[in-house]
Amino acid sequence: MTIELDHIIPIPLKDRFLQRSSDVWNTSVLFSQGEFIKIKAPSGTGKTTLVHLLYKLRHDYEGTIMINARSIADFSEDELAGLRQDKISIIFQDLRLFPNLTARENIELKRILHTPFYDEDVIDKMSEILGISHVLEQKAGLCSYGEQQRIAIVRALIQPFELLIMDEPFSHLDIVNTQKAAALIEVECRKRNAGFIITDLDEDNNFIYNRHLIL
Amino acid sequence: MKGLHYLLKKLIRSGAGRKRFFMAVIGLSVAMLLILTAVQIQADYNDLLHSKSNQDSVANFLVLNKTLSDQNLGATALTDNEINDLKQQVFVESTGSLTPSRFKASIQSSSDRFPFFTDIAFESVPNDFIDVTSKDWKWDENAAFVPIIAPNMFLDFYNFQFSFSQNLPQLTQQVVKMIVFKVNVYGPNGLITFNGRVVGFSDRISSLLVPQEFMNWGNAHFGINQDTKPSRIIIRTKDPGNPQLVQYLKRKGLSTDADKTRFSRYRQIVDIVVRISWGTGVIMLLFALLVFTLFIQLTIASCKEEIILLITLGASPRQLRHFLMKQFFPVHILIISISLLVISGLQFFIHRKLVSQGIFVNSLPSVNTIAAAVFVLISIWLVTNFSIRNYISIPLRKN
Repeated sequence: MTIELDHIIPIPLKDRFLQRSSDVWNTSVLFSQGEFIKIKAPSGTGKTTLVHLLYKLRHDYEGTIMINARSIADFSEDELAGLRQDKISIIFQDLRLFPNLTARENIELKRILHTPFYDEDVIDKMSEILGISHVLEQKAGLCSYGEQQRIAIVRALIQPFELLIMDEPFSHLDIVNTQKAAALIEVECRKRNAGFIITDLDEDNNFIYNRHLIL
Repeated sequence: MKGLHYLLKKLIRSGAGRKRFFMAVIGLSVAMLLILTAVQIQADYNDLLHSKSNQDSVANFLVLNKTLSDQNLGATALTDNEINDLKQQVFVESTGSLTPSRFKASIQSSSDRFPFFTDIAFESVPNDFIDVTSKDWKWDENAAFVPIIAPNMFLDFYNFQFSFSQNLPQLTQQVVKMIVFKVNVYGPNGLITFNGRVVGFSDRISSLLVPQEFMNWGNAHFGINQDTKPSRIIIRTKDPGNPQLVQYLKRKGLSTDADKTRFSRYRQIVDIVVRISWGTGVIMLLFALLVFTLFIQLTIASCKEEIILLITLGASPRQLRHFLMKQFFPVHILIISISLLVISGLQFFIHRKLVSQGIFVNSLPSVNTIAAAVFVLISIWLVTNFSIRNYISIPLRKN
């Protein structure tokens, strides 16, 4: 899957962004299939906005975003659902779990939203790698941020995808857990021949990136 | 692990307004019972009126004449306009004029052993309106005898009253049909005598009937005046109990056998009951639908966040609509099935009850009743589907 950004710029931030240079805003960018891309974005440069634009959660921008040479503005609701079910997976900065479902139910819901990519026991395997097996039957709302972040990571990896979008996915994790999570993510991406776009505040060595961009 | 349906159910709770939901369920059940009852009563009534097994052939023919009053003495003839107007009415299937004889006539016995003599008048009516079939029912100038159809009640009157008072023997229909008597017709050129014989007895028309040919011939040759306007007319109608018919007769100053139109009053009562049942049922149905719609709206509004997140995670609106439909619709199938079962039970009970009284109504609910149930079910499906579509798009739009 390829994604092309053609001079996109969020309307509310237009004036501010036009005054400075960026590798993404108001220029042409192409993300190819299988690329590991790091977008370094200091605070206030529209990191989360970019993630939401790519995932079509926001529509208030100028320019065009093309997925496989088709403008995402043209995707119908059902097509968008299909895209999110088996082409693009996401880890939100604000995690977005259902607080009233258990950790396992949160992950399971994503698994069975369409024909499952993995069997049920993969949830346990991934959870064990990330050290959250003990909270699987607990309500997600009662888990710590660190645990919730790892639940969100497993949830994103349980589905098929060609591109994984991650918005500060390790912000609540210590170095050891970050390494474990990054390793799992890399394995899962390689398995699917998928790429990812990760946004973060600082430089890091969690992955070997194909490209670094500065927002 | 539980399926998607279970997880969605956990997220999209319909806890809010459950009491109202149950009230609406009860309301809808009553509404369905009322509507289906109304349709079923109507069907049963039509059954009673029109089905072969209940048909009363006498009741379908009415002999009409002007109600005699001081004002119209001697002027009771029906004009062409009046007859045409009658023909135009929806409840009249066909009409036939009764032709009265305009000549003097008498009958007397041919044998001295059983003497009788009486002055008499005849009437004739088109053959379609006669309830007696006899191969002898024809006449021409060379015929051996004049066939006559007598009203059944004449014979009853003779057998059960006259014979006792005069010390005469009682006679069966068969015996009467064998008696040949003399028919005397008095014309301007004197008396002509024919042989006459009764060929049948009628329940329908209360006069002595002769074939139309004989009547035409007699009136032409012996008629005292040439006035050809009929005073009485016979109509064929599907339903003598039709209130429209009764009102029409009243308005036009016509009268008929009141006993035959007695159903009209029952019919009006049935109509009123059916209409009240209908009206109440439909109003209750509308209110129940309104409450259901509000319930759907409330459920969706109270789960707005969950629905937005589900869509964000990749649930398709179609999946959610399908889920919500499964949540909200089956209860309606249940309600309508139970209502139909109750109606079927009642209908079977009524059938059993009435059969013992010789009245036949179907033991199963009518096709119309089932069609009405299906129609309401389809309407509810459409309303539910529309509400879900409408309300689920609200959180998505805001998203």
